[in-house]
Amino acid sequence: MTVPATLPWSSAWRISRRELSARFRGLRLLIACLFLGVGALAAIGSLTGAIQHGLTARGRSILGGDVEAVVWQRGLSPAERAALRIYGPVSTGTRMQAMLSAGDTTAPVELKAVDAGWPLVGRLRLADGRMVGAPSANQAWLSDGAAGRLGVKSGDNVTLAGLPLRVGGIIADEPDRLSEGFALGPTVIVAAQTPDRAGLTAPGAMYRSKVRVACARPCDAAAVAASLQAQFPAAGLEIRTRDKAAPGPANFIARLGDFMVLVGLAALLIAGIGIGGGTASYLDARRGGIATLKVLGATGDDIARIYLLQIGIAALVGAAAGLVAGVAAMPLLARFVGTLLPIDGGLVLDPAALARAAAYGLLVALVFAAPPLAAARAFPAMALFRARVEGARLTLLKAPPLAALLPVTLGVGAIVALALLGSPAPGTAAIFLGGAAGLVALLGALGWVIRQVAAHLPRPRGPLLRMALANLHCPGAHTGRLVTALGFGLSAFVLLAVVQTSLSANIAARVPSRAPDYFVLDLAPELLPAFTALVQAAAPASRIRAVPALRGAILAYGPAGHQTRVADLAAIPDNAWALKGERGLTYSDDIPEGNAVTAGHWWPHNYNGPPLVSVDQKFAAAVGLHIGDRLTIGLLGVERSATVAAFRRIDWDSFGFNYVLVFSPNTLADAPHKLAATIALAPAARTGSRKGAMLRGLTRAFPTTSVIEVGSLLRQANALLDQMSTAILAAASVAVLAGIAVLLGAIAAARANRLYDNVILRVLGASRWQLLALQLAEFGALALVLAGVALALGSGLGWLVIVQLFAFDFLPDWPRVLAVLGSGLLLVLLFALGGSLSLLRARPAEALREL
Amino acid sequence: MRKFPIAANFLPRLSQLCHSRAVTSPTPAASFPPLALAARDLTLNLGQGSGAVAILKGIDLIVPQGQTVALLGPSGSGKSSLMAVLTGLERASSGTLLVAGADFIGLDEDALARARRGRIGVVLQSFHLLPTMTALENVMTALELAGISDAPALAAAELGAVGLGHRLTHYPAQLSGGEQQRVAVARALAPRPPLLFADEPTGNLDAATGLGVVELLFARRAETAATLVIITHDAALADRCERVITLMDGRIVSDSLPLVSSLGA
Repeated sequence: MTVPATLPWSSAWRISRRELSARFRGLRLLIACLFLGVGALAAIGSLTGAIQHGLTARGRSILGGDVEAVVWQRGLSPAERAALRIYGPVSTGTRMQAMLSAGDTTAPVELKAVDAGWPLVGRLRLADGRMVGAPSANQAWLSDGAAGRLGVKSGDNVTLAGLPLRVGGIIADEPDRLSEGFALGPTVIVAAQTPDRAGLTAPGAMYRSKVRVACARPCDAAAVAASLQAQFPAAGLEIRTRDKAAPGPANFIARLGDFMVLVGLAALLIAGIGIGGGTASYLDARRGGIATLKVLGATGDDIARIYLLQIGIAALVGAAAGLVAGVAAMPLLARFVGTLLPIDGGLVLDPAALARAAAYGLLVALVFAAPPLAAARAFPAMALFRARVEGARLTLLKAPPLAALLPVTLGVGAIVALALLGSPAPGTAAIFLGGAAGLVALLGALGWVIRQVAAHLPRPRGPLLRMALANLHCPGAHTGRLVTALGFGLSAFVLLAVVQTSLSANIAARVPSRAPDYFVLDLAPELLPAFTALVQAAAPASRIRAVPALRGAILAYGPAGHQTRVADLAAIPDNAWALKGERGLTYSDDIPEGNAVTAGHWWPHNYNGPPLVSVDQKFAAAVGLHIGDRLTIGLLGVERSATVAAFRRIDWDSFGFNYVLVFSPNTLADAPHKLAATIALAPAARTGSRKGAMLRGLTRAFPTTSVIEVGSLLRQANALLDQMSTAILAAASVAVLAGIAVLLGAIAAARANRLYDNVILRVLGASRWQLLALQLAEFGALALVLAGVALALGSGLGWLVIVQLFAFDFLPDWPRVLAVLGSGLLLVLLFALGGSLSLLRARPAEALREL
Repeated sequence: MRKFPIAANFLPRLSQLCHSRAVTSPTPAASFPPLALAARDLTLNLGQGSGAVAILKGIDLIVPQGQTVALLGPSGSGKSSLMAVLTGLERASSGTLLVAGADFIGLDEDALARARRGRIGVVLQSFHLLPTMTALENVMTALELAGISDAPALAAAELGAVGLGHRLTHYPAQLSGGEQQRVAVARALAPRPPLLFADEPTGNLDAATGLGVVELLFARRAETAATLVIITHDAALADRCERVITLMDGRIVSDSLPLVSSLGA
C-alpha cells in the first residue's frame, strides 16, 4: 500500500467538494464581501479606463486637430501661422461672449467663429440630420439652448451686435464640444469673419483666437507643441495637444479616479475583514470535521489543501460575481458622468481593469483567509477528546500561527506592488495602504485593550452582567473581530454622512449672498457714463462696478537681474496656477474692494513713477516673490515689467472681480482694453419685466457688449457640483455596503457562539427578557465604545476626502452625522437581538435538541 | 513516503525492556510473535508550570498482533489519554512507544497522522462522522487518505458488510445512533488496518443497539485479524476480550495476561 506524504490535489479536491455545500452555507459572508470589493474595483477600473480610452482615442476629434494654439485679444501673427502650417492643414477661429437677439428677446451666448477648414476632424451634425462644416457668412448654427432662449427655429432671423444672421440649423452634435470647456452661455457657431463684421474684435475686446492644425502625416503632437513654445516664448500661446484635449474633464477624472481608487481599496479592506471573519467562522464551525479528518490520518498540509480549495472556490465565485456586477454597473455609472466625460453608455469590457480587480480581490482573500487557515492546519486531532472537558470554548480563534506569515507577507507585498504600479494614483494609494495598515493595527490594539479591561474589571454581582463582561474576554471571545468589524462598519457610516452633508453645505455655500446679478464684458471705457445712466434709468439704485480688463501671461519674476523665466521652468510650482497661460490683468488707483494689503505699500492716486504691481500673497508665497522684485508680463505680444510694491489678501468668495495681479494705472492704461463690469440690482428691480427691459436696452445701446446673468451661471455650476456629488456618494456607498455586510457577518458569527450559553441559561431558568438584556449589554457596551472611535475615524477620513482630495470646505452637519451613527448603532443592536428571537421563542428542550 | 523504523529497530529496545523487568526470554529475539504495540515507561503531562497535571505515570505495555484487549478503569483514570497516545493523537511526554511497526516517539503531529493512515482505525464514542458527507463519502474519505484506489467500491462493500448497503447516500443526520456507529466501524475497518481502537463504542447507544454494534465490531475484527483495543466501563464487554487491563490514576494496576504470557512464552 502506498501512502502519499501529502494528499494529492485530486484527492483533496474530492474530499473538499463533498464538504462544500452547493449553496455555500457558511461561506456566504466571504462571497458577499468579495463580491462587493471586486465589484467596486471592477466598476471603478472599467469606468476610469473607459474615460481615459475615450479621451485618448477621441482626443484628435475632441480637440479638432492634433495641436491647438490659443491667444487672447489678437489673432495669430503670420509667423505663428506659418510655424503651424508646415505640419498640415490649419483652421482658425475666435471664441467670445456675445449677445444674440431675436425681436425683443436677447440672450448671452458663447460665440464660436470658425473658418471654412473647420472642423479639421469629424463633421458637425445638425438636428435635421445634415452633416456640415462652418456656416456661410450670413448664417449661424444655434445650439438647442440658444434657440430655446430666443424662441427661434431653423430659417428664422437673429441679430448679433446689430448684424442680421439667419439660423441655418440647430446643432445636434458638435465634434469638439468637450475641448471648449466651461461655457458661459449656449453655443452659437458663425463664420470666421462674422465677429469682425459685427465689431466684436475691436482692440481690447475679450476674445480668444484659436488655431488648430491636423498633421498631414503622423506626428508627435507634444514635439510640435514644444517647438512652438521654443519659437515664440513670449507670445503668450496656450498650446494643447490631442492627448490632453479636454484638460477640464481630465482634471476631474484624475480627482475622481483618486477617490474611486480609495473607495475601491476601502471596500476591499473592509471586505478583507469580512473575509477573515467569514473564513474563521466557517472553519470554526468545522473544527469537529477537521479533528476527525486528522484522526483518519490527514496531516496539517492535507487540511490546508482541503479547506484552501473550498475557500478558493468560494472566493472565485465571489470575485467572478463581482466582475459581472462591476461590468453591469457601467451603464449606470456612465449616466452619472456621461454628460461631463467622453464615454459611451454601453457595457465596457476592460480586461486589464477586470484582471486587476480580480487580482486585488483574490490577494486580499489570501491575506485575510491565511491566518484562520493556518490555525485550522494546526488544529489538534485531540480536540475531539478534550472537547468533552473544554466544551464549546475550544476554538480556532486564537493568535494566527507563524505558518500564516509567508502567505500574508507575499499577499501584502503583491497588493502593495499592484497598488503602486497599476494604480492611476500611486501616491494616494500608498498613503491609503499605509493608513489602512495603521487602522487595522489600531483597532487590533483597541480589541486587546477592551479584553484586558474587561478581564480586570471587578465582577458585577448580577449574573447576567457578569456573563456579558465575561463574554468580552473569555477564551474564544469574538471581541477582537467585533471591534475591527464594528470599527470599520460604523466608520463607513460616519464617513458617508460627513461627505454627504459637507458636499450639500458646499453646494449651498457656492450661492454667494453678495453675488452681483450680471457680469458685463467688453464695455468701451468711454461708454461707461452712458452705460451707467441706462442701467440706473432701467433699474434705479443699482450698484455698478467697472474695472479695466486685460489679458496677459507672466513671462518672468524674481529679483531684478536674476529673474526666473517661466518658459525655463521644468514644472509649475504648487499653487502657482497663475503662471499657466494668460490671466486676467487690471490696473487701479485704489485697493480693490474686498482686498487688504498685507505687505508693502499701495501707490498713491495719479502715481506716475516707475511701473508697480500688487500681487496675491498666496501666489507670491508659491513662487517666492519679495517686495521689490520684478515681474514681467506679455501683453498683446509686448513685454512689460513692473516692481512688486504690495501683497494683497483676496476674498475669493466675494464672487466679484478678483485679480492676482493689479498694476499701477501708468503701467497698462495705454494698452488697448475694455472694461468689465458687475451690476447689482436693487431688490425692487429684481422683477422679470424690469430685468428684461434693461437687458433689451443694453443690447440695443451697446451691441458689442456681452451681459451674462449670474443666476444661470450659478445654476450651471451647481448642476455640475450636483453631478459630482452624486458620483462621489454613489462610490462611497459601496464602502458602506461592504461595511454593513462585514458588520452583520461578525455579529452573526459572535451570536452563533452565544447560542450554547443562551440555551443553558434558559434551562437554568433565565427569562427571555434577561437573555435579551444580556445581549444588549454585551453588544451595547462594545458598540458604544466603538461609536466614539468611528466618529473620530470617519470624520478624519471624511476631512481627507473633502478637503485634501476635492478641495472643498469641511462643513459636516454634525447633528445629521450623529443621527446616522445612531442608526448604525441601532442596526447593530437590532441585528444582534433580532437573530436570537427564534431561539428565545423556542422551548428550552426543543432548543437543546437543535444544538 | 517517509520510512518508519520497523520492528527490527525495536528489538534491542524490547530486549532492554525485558532485562529491566528481569524477565529472561528463552527464545531468541527473532522468534517473538509480531507486535502491535510496545510501550515502555510512557508518561503524559498536560499543562505547564504549577498547572501541570500528570495524566499517565509510567505505562509499560506490550500487545501482540491479533490480540483483543479491554482497557478498564474509572473516569479520570487515564484510559482515553492512553488511547490518544497509542493512536498518535497525543504525543507522550516521555518513554518509548512502537505502534504497528512505527516508532512514535519523536514524531511530529503530521508524521503521526501519516503513521495512522491505513494502519490504525479509530471508533469514537460520539461517532464523529463528517456531517457534510454521506455514509459512503465518510468511508471513502478514510480510504482516500490512506492512498487506496477504488475507494467508492471498497467503501460500498464495507458498508454492505456492516448492514448499511441501503444507506449509502444518507447523511449522518438522517441515520440513527446505531447506524452512525456502524458507519464509524466501517470507516475504521475499510482500509484494513492491523490495529483497531474503540473508545467506549457503545457509550452513546441503548443496550440492544450497543450489543449489535459490539457483535459487528468483533465479527469484522475476526475477519480482518486486526488487533483490537477497546476502552470501556462495561465489564461484560471487557469479558469478551482476551485480555483485560485496568488503569487507575494513570497507572496499570492489573493485567489479566501479563507481559510474558502476552509474548506467548
